[in-house]
Amino acid sequence: MEKSIETIWKEGFLKKDALIIPRLNDLYNQKSIDIVDKFRRMYKINIVGLIVFALIFLPIAIITKIPYMGIPMFILFLTIAFFGSKFKMKLDNINKSLNSYLYLKTFDNWTKEMIGFNTKLSRYLYPYVFLSMVAGFWFGSFGGNVPGNDLVNKLLVDNPDMILVFGIPLYGLIAVLLVVTLLSIFGGRIGKWDVNIVYGRILRRLDTLLRDMEELRASK
Amino acid sequence: MSSDFYTVSILPYAAIIIKICRAYTDSQEDFEDYYQEVCLQIWRSKDNFKEKSEWSTWIYRLSLNVCLTLLKKKKNNKQNLISDNLPLEAEEESNAFSDESLNELYDAIKQLSEIDRAVILLYLEEKSYQEIADIIGTNPNNIGVRIKRIKGRLKKILN
Repeated sequence: MEKSIETIWKEGFLKKDALIIPRLNDLYNQKSIDIVDKFRRMYKINIVGLIVFALIFLPIAIITKIPYMGIPMFILFLTIAFFGSKFKMKLDNINKSLNSYLYLKTFDNWTKEMIGFNTKLSRYLYPYVFLSMVAGFWFGSFGGNVPGNDLVNKLLVDNPDMILVFGIPLYGLIAVLLVVTLLSIFGGRIGKWDVNIVYGRILRRLDTLLRDMEELRASK
Repeated sequence: MSSDFYTVSILPYAAIIIKICRAYTDSQEDFEDYYQEVCLQIWRSKDNFKEKSEWSTWIYRLSLNVCLTLLKKKKNNKQNLISDNLPLEAEEESNAFSDESLNELYDAIKQLSEIDRAVILLYLEEKSYQEIADIIGTNPNNIGVRIKRIKGRLKKILN
């Protein structure tokens, strides 16, 4: 080697074309596509997961003699997967030829619509899940006995004057109704919390990106 | 990013960013991505600049951090691709500069560890040991020895 590395460095960068500055072109384009694609993959996995879980859960519930829980849960998971697929179709139809800002803005509107729907659905979903679980265990058949009837019989021994409504203790019924009411009131919040656990990170990235782009548009 | 900010605060220091990004990328496409990401991060983090150091020193530090982060991400992605048994696309050979000796030097620099690359880039940019230590976050006492060792290695590769 004739020249020192210091000389190569200095002389090399003296040449005219050594420092060609890249154009800052459509800075956010790849980021926008990446973020939506990542979300789309996660969303698809969740839908497939729901269908697989529903198909596994039903036979297990039947085998373990809790069909009153298994069948409603099966219907529920498939219903959520159905609505999820409908939303996924909308997501797939977002026009990729839009500019990065409009693309992300459309995606952001889609997430808001999806979260809004999910929040509404959660008001019914969580009470439904709770009722399915109660029904599953109440009417389930463990060792040939119906646990709900066994419980009522045991309670009647100690409290013969207990009021029953359709064979169910009134206090138990009130407690279930209370939980259902609470779940209905807070279901929306639980739903949002649920979405935040699964998609929170990516949604926060989307917010940051949109904020940056809006600032960029404002300063142009 | 406003064009004013880019023109006034980034463009005069573009050479720094280019030199660093070149040392951490193997293709023109990656180089342009890294350059853009560094510019974006400078703009995003501009409010964090506390004027405790020179703006150029801050740009060196930020550029190195962004490049190291992107390189780490790229390595992770490659590992995922390998574990998925997908064929990797061959990296495009980059002859970034018309000066053949400079290309060779860059190729040699790319064979160094990530931190050694940073040290030698800063040394070649005539930064003092103290500045190099400040940018990298290390003790200035070790910098001299390290530079000597890196130069020895570069000479070996170039020869």
